[in-house]
Amino acid sequence: MVKMNRKRDRLEVIFDFLNIIQENHNSIKPTPLLRKTNLSSQNFYEYYLELLSKGFIKEILDKNNKKFITLTDKGFKYLEKYRTIINFIDEFELS
Amino acid sequence: MIPPFFNPVPFLAELIYTVVITAFCFLIFFKTKEIYDLTKHNGIKFFRYTFLFFGLSYASRLLLHLFMLYNGIIFEMGINRRAFLPLSNLIMAYFSTMAILYLAFSTLWKRIKIRHLALYSNLFAVIIAFVGFFSRSPLFISLIQLILLALAIIVNAFAEKKSRKVSNMRILYLMIAAFWLINLFLIDPHFRFHPAIKLVLQGFSIIVFIIIHFRLNKWLK
Repeated sequence: MVKMNRKRDRLEVIFDFLNIIQENHNSIKPTPLLRKTNLSSQNFYEYYLELLSKGFIKEILDKNNKKFITLTDKGFKYLEKYRTIINFIDEFELS
Repeated sequence: MIPPFFNPVPFLAELIYTVVITAFCFLIFFKTKEIYDLTKHNGIKFFRYTFLFFGLSYASRLLLHLFMLYNGIIFEMGINRRAFLPLSNLIMAYFSTMAILYLAFSTLWKRIKIRHLALYSNLFAVIIAFVGFFSRSPLFISLIQLILLALAIIVNAFAEKKSRKVSNMRILYLMIAAFWLINLFLIDPHFRFHPAIKLVLQGFSIIVFIIIHFRLNKWLK
């Protein structure tokens, strides 16, 4: 579960969001995801829609027609590159 | 036919210098594409566009420099002298103003609470470009950009007043802008630099771009 001791920046929130999905065997329902991200409902849905529209995550339905969220290749790529991105931003003082 | 007074050495030196700097600028721009596409981070956006604009500035500076070096030949080739100088000055002024603005925004973007920053930057650069067009003077452009750079340094100093230490990266950013301004001075006919001094300055500016590229390569191969 993500600890929320300080204000997270946008890139970190996206990382946490995607990381939770990955840690749940790349399949999680929206409600537990909302709880684990530690975001307000409004913020959660803003990020959710953004990640969906940008192709980081996708929705799938199981046999019982229940909605699950999974990562796309782009989502996995973000997780893989996150440390590099943060180090790059720090090195070039772009934050 | 090449006229007898054509001296290819200054042209070749400028050509090699421009190709090297432009190549580094475009390499930095393209190497940061993937992380920008993934994050849409404003700092990364300003950073990569800084180098795109610097690349284009150096390329357009070569045109202007050719005009200054081979004024007579260009005239004999049938190219309209009256149009060539103001037009190349206009293009160079636009790209280089954008480069300096974006370089400042790379580190200041979070502190500048202005919406449509890109739009205002473009408008400002267009105004400076027209100043360049009508003044026909690279020196005048460099003086305006020098003021812009000084303003960026002051704003940066106020924004970072908590930390008194100036980082190596800020020094590199400052050197990129300073070398650009020196390069503008170098092509102005009023300033006749010794070729050796010019060569040393250009060598140093290439080293700065190599260092930036090297640091970038640490993270993005």
